[in-house]
Amino acid sequence: MRSGVPAHWLLIALPATVLLAFFVLPNALLLSASFLKSEAQQLTAEPTLDNYRFLFTRPLYLEVFLRTFAVGIAVGLIDIVLGFPLAYFLVRSRSRFKGLLIALSLAPLLASVVVRTYGWYIILNRFGFANDVLLNLGVIGERIPFMPSTGAIIIGLAHALLPYAVLTIMGSLNGVNPNLESAAMSLGANRTRTFFHVVMPLCLPGIAGGFILVFSIAISAYATPAILGGPATQVAATAIYNFIIQLLDWSLGAALAVILIVCSLLLLYAAARLGARRAAL
Amino acid sequence: MNARIFSARWRATSGPWALLCTVVAFVYVFSLGPILITTAVSFNQTNRSFFPPRGFSLRWWERALTPEWLDPLLFSLKLGTFTALLSTLLALPLAFALYRYRFRGREALVALTLGPLMLPTLVTGVGLLQLFQYVGWREHIGFAALLVGHVVICMPFAVRTVSISLQTLPPNLELAAASLGATPVRTLRHIVFPLIKSGLVAGAVFAFIHSFTDVNLSIFLARPGEVPITVKILGFLEFGFAPTLAAVSVITLLLPLILVAIVERVSGLGDFIYGDRRG
Repeated sequence: MRSGVPAHWLLIALPATVLLAFFVLPNALLLSASFLKSEAQQLTAEPTLDNYRFLFTRPLYLEVFLRTFAVGIAVGLIDIVLGFPLAYFLVRSRSRFKGLLIALSLAPLLASVVVRTYGWYIILNRFGFANDVLLNLGVIGERIPFMPSTGAIIIGLAHALLPYAVLTIMGSLNGVNPNLESAAMSLGANRTRTFFHVVMPLCLPGIAGGFILVFSIAISAYATPAILGGPATQVAATAIYNFIIQLLDWSLGAALAVILIVCSLLLLYAAARLGARRAAL
Repeated sequence: MNARIFSARWRATSGPWALLCTVVAFVYVFSLGPILITTAVSFNQTNRSFFPPRGFSLRWWERALTPEWLDPLLFSLKLGTFTALLSTLLALPLAFALYRYRFRGREALVALTLGPLMLPTLVTGVGLLQLFQYVGWREHIGFAALLVGHVVICMPFAVRTVSISLQTLPPNLELAAASLGATPVRTLRHIVFPLIKSGLVAGAVFAFIHSFTDVNLSIFLARPGEVPITVKILGFLEFGFAPTLAAVSVITLLLPLILVAIVERVSGLGDFIYGDRRG
């Protein structure tokens, strides 16, 4: 303004510096480490593609990728199936308790994933609630361990990420005029037809956006797979943790992290193309 | 009016609506059940996490309130508070610049701002650990590293809520104040700030909660003695499952809940959840 420096540069200088130094720089370092060779738990300066070659050829890590994606898809689908009715109900309900019901559906977000997953541990472990109930009902003859297993990871993550699906779908349902449904019904369409031909197509971007959001959080989740899974059910996040913290192999850990970043970015690009806007900037 | 006709039609043929309500009830049980079960388990008399709880005792709660658990809890509270303050302070000028000015590189800045929301937090944690080791700040791993990391991952939330509240601010107001002789600082203090206060508060609350519940970043940047409560619980889960953990879990759930309830009463949060106040 008065001086030579435009006002907006003064405003963004500090926050942009913080983001560049502590977000862009670390990620750039990680990217470069993924192309460097590790020897005796130390990064060397020797460039190589071996880290990626290693991850993409070992059956163990192919299985990790496969499991990570299978978990992401399953969790996304479960959360859409459970989240859509809830979102539809919350948007269309005229109940006196609507505010409370919305708050209750989002309340789990206030608890850490660790806390919410602990609840599933109590239910699913060998001496847990699920086993007690099934034994008493006579469904099973002896106690079976439901965890560690991929199924337990899927249930735990579906539970942890449900509010994200509900929020995204509610956002798009809010934009669907209820009069359209009345109009379709007054023109003779029954409820099923109205639902599948009017409501669903209109909030498809919200459904797709919710799926992608849940999927992208699920494939990088650490806590739930660490608690409900085990060494035999590794996913990408737990494998990264093992490389970095236990094996001290920065190269492989970084390469796996970069693969995770690329997947997340591709997904979010797809979400943006589908019109699911996440931020009101 | 139309909505009423609509819902009357729904109820006239109550079958589908009743079915929907049944499904919704099931989803609520699925969503809230594990949290309620955890709460119940914390009152067990035995030292195993039985549900339904056997007997009733408060001894796990007593144990949850010893320094072993209170220290990480206080550490998380401190970390969350500093994170909320710093990320909101940094978000305010950023949101203002993005909202008010059109300049070259604005799109890039938006991408930079949203970046921490887009990339997996876990990866940022690994990167920060590497950065701190690389530049020789090993002794700062712990509170300082955690604070930096949490500020970075929480800033997008604060930028977002501040942006939303800026949308409701008519730009003429500042011109009006200026034409009446107010200095920019005075305009900011007496006109802009009071009008976007709720956005700042909401941003700080979301940042606090995001920091308080984070695991993915914290597992890489904690050090013995400087451990957030979530990482402490996670570490403990690998060894034992005494009902103490259930009591600690309930405490960590209650703190954000109380915070949100208070702020919702005082200044309102609901407007900021959908992302568009007018929507």
